[in-house]
Amino acid sequence: MQKTKSFHRRKILLVFVCCIAALLFLIGRLAYLMIAKSGYYTTLAEELHERERSIKAARGRILDRNGTVLADNRTVCTVSVIHSQITDPEQVIEVLCTELGMDEETVRARVEKNSSIERIKSNVDKDIGDAIRSYGLDGVKVDEDYKRYYPYASMASKVLGFTGADNQGIIGLEVRYDELLSGTPGTILTLTDARGIEIEDTAETRIEPVAGNDLIISLDYNIQQYVEQAAYNVLEEKQADSVSILVMNPQNGEIYAMTNVPEFDLNDPYTLTELYIETQLSEEDALNQMWRNGCINDTYEPGSTFKIITAATGLEEGVVTLTDTFYCPGYKLVDDRRIRCHKTAGHGSETFLEAAQNSCNPVFIEVGLRLGVDNYFKYFNQFGLNDKTGVDLPGEAATIMHKKENVGQVELATISFGQSFQITPIQLITTAASIINGGIRITPHFAVSAQDADGTLLEVYQYEEGERILSEETSATMRYLLEQVVDSGSGKNAYIEGYRIGGKTATSETLPRGQGKYISSFVGFAPADDPQVICLCVINNPQGTYYGGTIAAPVVKDIFENILPYLGIEKTLAETETVE
Amino acid sequence: MAVLILCGFGLLILYSASSYNGQVRFGDSAWYLKKQFFAMVLGLAAMAGISSIDYHVLNKLAGPAYLLSLVLSGAVLLFGDAYNGSRRWLSIGPLSFQPAEYAKPAVILLLASVVAGASGSRDPRGVSGTRHRKTTAADPRLRRGGARGRIASVFLAVLPIVALVGKNNLSTAVIILGIAMLMIFVSNPKYLPFLWMILAGVGFLAAFLSLEAYRLERLAIWRNPELYEKGYQTMQGLYAIGSGGLFGLGLGNGLQKLGFVPEAQNDMIFSVICEELGLFGAAFLVLLFLLLLWRFMVIATHAPDLFGSLIAAGIMGHIAIQVILNIAVVTNTIPNTGITLPFVSYGGTSMLFLLAEMGLALSVSRGNRNIPL
Repeated sequence: MQKTKSFHRRKILLVFVCCIAALLFLIGRLAYLMIAKSGYYTTLAEELHERERSIKAARGRILDRNGTVLADNRTVCTVSVIHSQITDPEQVIEVLCTELGMDEETVRARVEKNSSIERIKSNVDKDIGDAIRSYGLDGVKVDEDYKRYYPYASMASKVLGFTGADNQGIIGLEVRYDELLSGTPGTILTLTDARGIEIEDTAETRIEPVAGNDLIISLDYNIQQYVEQAAYNVLEEKQADSVSILVMNPQNGEIYAMTNVPEFDLNDPYTLTELYIETQLSEEDALNQMWRNGCINDTYEPGSTFKIITAATGLEEGVVTLTDTFYCPGYKLVDDRRIRCHKTAGHGSETFLEAAQNSCNPVFIEVGLRLGVDNYFKYFNQFGLNDKTGVDLPGEAATIMHKKENVGQVELATISFGQSFQITPIQLITTAASIINGGIRITPHFAVSAQDADGTLLEVYQYEEGERILSEETSATMRYLLEQVVDSGSGKNAYIEGYRIGGKTATSETLPRGQGKYISSFVGFAPADDPQVICLCVINNPQGTYYGGTIAAPVVKDIFENILPYLGIEKTLAETETVE
Repeated sequence: MAVLILCGFGLLILYSASSYNGQVRFGDSAWYLKKQFFAMVLGLAAMAGISSIDYHVLNKLAGPAYLLSLVLSGAVLLFGDAYNGSRRWLSIGPLSFQPAEYAKPAVILLLASVVAGASGSRDPRGVSGTRHRKTTAADPRLRRGGARGRIASVFLAVLPIVALVGKNNLSTAVIILGIAMLMIFVSNPKYLPFLWMILAGVGFLAAFLSLEAYRLERLAIWRNPELYEKGYQTMQGLYAIGSGGLFGLGLGNGLQKLGFVPEAQNDMIFSVICEELGLFGAAFLVLLFLLLLWRFMVIATHAPDLFGSLIAAGIMGHIAIQVILNIAVVTNTIPNTGITLPFVSYGGTSMLFLLAEMGLALSVSRGNRNIPL
């Protein structure tokens, strides 16, 4: 046998040295990958392994001024089955059928479907979910979840609004204060294998959800309840299209009640109410119509209630006093146009106070013309009628007004008694409130304060005191004037024995004219000498009698009769003192 | 000793790396471990057996053993079982067997025998007997003499098995070719021809790669594994290595083996080692291999004759090539190709024949002691 030679040994050594070199190089490469690029690859790997599941945060509640919960959360369950984990399908089907009250065919189809996870039913009551869980069936999952719940269903639906599938606000206060209410969802980070299955025994990172904060609003459950009832009554009685009623504190702008009937069910917001089922609109448009808050989203011609503004402007500017006398022949000629009074025979000779009680158009046209376009526009702006009120609800509509340069005598005349332009009901009541409250512009609002889930006060909402728009004297004169309208004028149907009520009626024909469609309204406040509450009622397209003084004023009277004692406003006049 | 540590280490890692796949595929986390353990016991028995016999006996068997490997490799092409898309397994009863693994020691033996015999015929001092001539006589081309001719003829002898194995297992064919080249390099005093051969090899490789588009694609994936869907395996391996850091996540705590790294128990097992044991664990393993290679070198240089020396050198070459290529692949230093990590990766046949090779080396080592230097 041949011996190994020295060159053999040399070469073997050489090969070995090469191996050492190669392996050392690879160790170097490893060190580079594992130290220098470790962070890079670790991050990538973690992204790959981690699954994120979000935990819904409980949404903050909405409470009325007395702490009544108007929007709450309910724990609901989602029942699902995991096909691969089911051991006794027959029992699963039987239990789910009886507990969920579903027919066997549907349940069987879902249980036997070979999918990774199949939802049987969602929004199941917690009691039923707990019952199903107590059976301890393999492959049946009961997940708890929060769902927005409105205890009073349709009450103040257009104010409160509702939430979507991800608990996000869709309309109303729910969307306006979404950030406050929504809270921060938590997350569970779990490590999973390549098939997405969670790895047991690995520490899961859990970030707890932070519950949303509660919102306390100025709305009063009892007033809202009564106002809605009153609105439904007149809606039905007059076969009207809709009725909007606003109740507000004229001193600080807190809204006590706001309704637009028909309301809709907040717990079932996607089902059209009767009124909208037979419309020609697409479903989406119909839903949007149903959700509209007429007090804020829609404008209308205010009609005679706007005479409050004309009167206040005229008195403030000094172009008229309560005792000035006028003559109404039943019409007024402006340029070449003959503008009729609602009383075609004319009111004859009357003072300005009597003209207001009569709601006499020619007199107010005369006051408007005396003011002139410049003055009138100056006050229009000063009263804030060209701006939005700033109410804390989304979608407030802007005033639709003539451009100043296009306004001639005829336009000015029609503006003076509230026609040819449009404002929102919220704008009208806010302006009227500012005129009678001593002359300070207010910001209408709902939000009063916010508190966290434990009840700790977080924030008290501050609303800047608005500018003075009117002198206190004029404001006092206006209160007297409007009280006279109710005492012995067109607003006498709002009169309540023992109370000092002020107010103004309005009846306006809707555009296009000549269709016999009217809007009747009344704005009233009490007590007339120190207004604590102001209420506007707008009846849209009533059938039969359509005069505001006849149909809208009694609604406000009815509301006042009930809420004035509730608000602790005492009768100030002895019944014997009342004028009749 | 190093072998035993490696085997134990290998089993541990294998268990850790394969438990998930075993659980998922066979419902038994120890499924791979059991099979590997069985192969190891068999291999250790073979190692003990072979180490106790005189390796010179095998000189006679080299030719037939090689022929057998040719037959088996041929058979696997015709009757082999396909698994993972490659036809590499021969089933004999409940056992399956990878002829390609057997071909490696067969080639080592054949070349050691042929080269030692051929040199012997030229070398008057050779103790060689007629039995060597018989082997070489079987191939008349070997007689033509001349270093270049001998090299060429040895290659000719190896080419059939390379072709047969390479038909469906390119990586193993490359390893066999590499072993053959290494052994011839050692056996020949010259250097220059091998330089040419390396150049020729590179050229051949280039031609081979460009022959089929999918091989070129592998090159592109190698450069930018993130950009290709097929770079998935490489990227997952890199994730695992990168996550390891200095000390790793701890044995059994790796995440990448959970179905992310494909075949975590096979070719990519080194990435699991990196992830779980960190740089230190990986470096320890590499040093263990180096220790083993050093032992082979010592055995080879101290072997009583060229035959033994070449056997030891061949085994050294075999293990060195696989270790280097495997780690290079896993770290994306070279393009991806399926090469297992000796003693660690899952593979019964591989384990069995590697341990048998260890037996051979031990037998040669024993020869060292018998014939004092």
